[in-house]
Amino acid sequence: METLQPASITIEEFNVISDIFSQAITGELIGMSNFASLVETIDDPHEKMEAVEHANSERSHAEGFMAYAKKKNLKININLHSPYWGNVRKQFLSYAIKKDFIACLIIQEVILESFAVSMYTDVANALGGEAGRLFHNIADEEKEHLEHSSDILRAELNKDPKAFIKKFEEIHFNCMTILAEFTATTDLRGHCGVCNGDCMKGALHHIGLDVTVMRGNALALYASALDNIGIPGEKSIIWIARLPA
Amino acid sequence: MDCQAPSLDFAIIGHQENWQHITALINDIRTPRLEKLPVEKIKSIFSFIPPRDVFKINAKSKTGAEANGVYIETFIDPDMLDAQYIRTNISKVMNAVAFAKKLGAKVVTMGGFTSILLEGNFDSFSPGPSKFTTGNTLTAAFIVKGVEKAITQYGINLQESNILIVGATGDIGMACTNYFKGKTKKMLLCARNKNRLQKFALELIKDNILVNYSIVLDELIPEADIIICVASSTNIQMANCKKNVLICDAGYPKNLETTIDNPAAVHLFHGGMGQVLNGYSINPDYSKSMYHYEAPYISHGCALEAIVLALENKFETYSTGRGNITNDKMEEIYDLSLKHGITVAPFYNTKGLW
Repeated sequence: METLQPASITIEEFNVISDIFSQAITGELIGMSNFASLVETIDDPHEKMEAVEHANSERSHAEGFMAYAKKKNLKININLHSPYWGNVRKQFLSYAIKKDFIACLIIQEVILESFAVSMYTDVANALGGEAGRLFHNIADEEKEHLEHSSDILRAELNKDPKAFIKKFEEIHFNCMTILAEFTATTDLRGHCGVCNGDCMKGALHHIGLDVTVMRGNALALYASALDNIGIPGEKSIIWIARLPA
Repeated sequence: MDCQAPSLDFAIIGHQENWQHITALINDIRTPRLEKLPVEKIKSIFSFIPPRDVFKINAKSKTGAEANGVYIETFIDPDMLDAQYIRTNISKVMNAVAFAKKLGAKVVTMGGFTSILLEGNFDSFSPGPSKFTTGNTLTAAFIVKGVEKAITQYGINLQESNILIVGATGDIGMACTNYFKGKTKKMLLCARNKNRLQKFALELIKDNILVNYSIVLDELIPEADIIICVASSTNIQMANCKKNVLICDAGYPKNLETTIDNPAAVHLFHGGMGQVLNGYSINPDYSKSMYHYEAPYISHGCALEAIVLALENKFETYSTGRGNITNDKMEEIYDLSLKHGITVAPFYNTKGLW
């Protein structure tokens, strides 16, 4: 078995990489569960199959991360009921129960994928090598999800802009608030329940990352996704400014 | 409808002067319901935000015409305006330009630092329905008309005065110099780029204009009766000014007052500013945090140039490049602004109205 040897990386680097993979695997499994729940909200058989395919895609991402973690003997902690991830899942389910396909799409494909694409890219650039390639490839696939959903949501906005923006605003504050708290410099709601020891955010510098920059990049991508859908800037700036920081 | 209008008369691309203003704006957007964010937290997010329209603007002419536009914030870090950050900032400005095009703005003015793209003749403005202007012509017009008004108020004889232009080789500095040449006793020119300054001064000397020029401001200040500062530098020091010298601070940011060794002995006003007599409104109304003037409906000349052009249905690249502002163009845009009830702003400085 290949392992990350102490000679090649420090214990601090090993711990933070383990935590990053733990978060990524947990996030992908949440995504998989969300898409699986989404299947129930769709009547169109083709779209139903597409949702299953997306769930499978998230599963394969989780498997990819797990395989790498196993190969490198990383210390992985998966916790789908952790405070932040669990709350994101609860939010998603609250809309899935109502068979609100558009709301589910906003949560999974815009909010969560924006953060995934941006943060995976940052991690990929920092880690390089095999792990970097893995994160890059998965980020590219998640980006396709983000772009695909933008087309659907843009069409939805054009049908009834006022109602759509109102709905998006509600979802933004329900869901982005959780992510904003999660990605704040310090966990605003205590330990995330996924990191092995203390919060990894304070240790990201060991692999050349900074949570402020990662969060900033993720918010930037989210803001661009909102622009792409057609949310007016004067609305999106309000939504972003009113998040916890 | 809550969604974007398909097209706009004008857009103003800009950036904030300092973190104090940004903090006030963000906390205003957050509303009093939420806890106020300290500047450090705002700094950690603000400059990541891609350019976007922040509020709508409706300006009213005295002719009854109205123009509708938006303000597009670039989210440039005010502490990162130096040359070393130019790539990052130009990229932000380019994104703002793309945003203005996407919104369908018919005329777009580029305020403060962002005008660098047009002044520098960057090959970045692909043909399209949106026309871009630096707004420098109306800014320059408001500066020179303001100075003329102020010298009348103080009984200063222009022909017997030495006028110092700080930032003389910039677009606005050249326009001011060309306007006042031949009307004063002597032109004193200061700029950072020695070669460009020398070239410009020699052209004036050829026209029999009495000129002193230097890249060292201290060498020129003691001679000056009137000073127009259009430099964007943040480290200008105004020492050894003549008593009762008239100073027009038209730089960005306007921070000369803090650099003058004896502020009580000078007459300083913030120049290049105009006032819309029939008013303008912004929506959402962030004026509580964004409006920092002592009189109503004041704005920068560059922003007002887009409004004047929009009110005139004159959607064209009015001000572009460097050194292209003629006296005729200044008179033209100034006359158009007066037609719409947009005049030189009342004189004020950080202590309030004169």
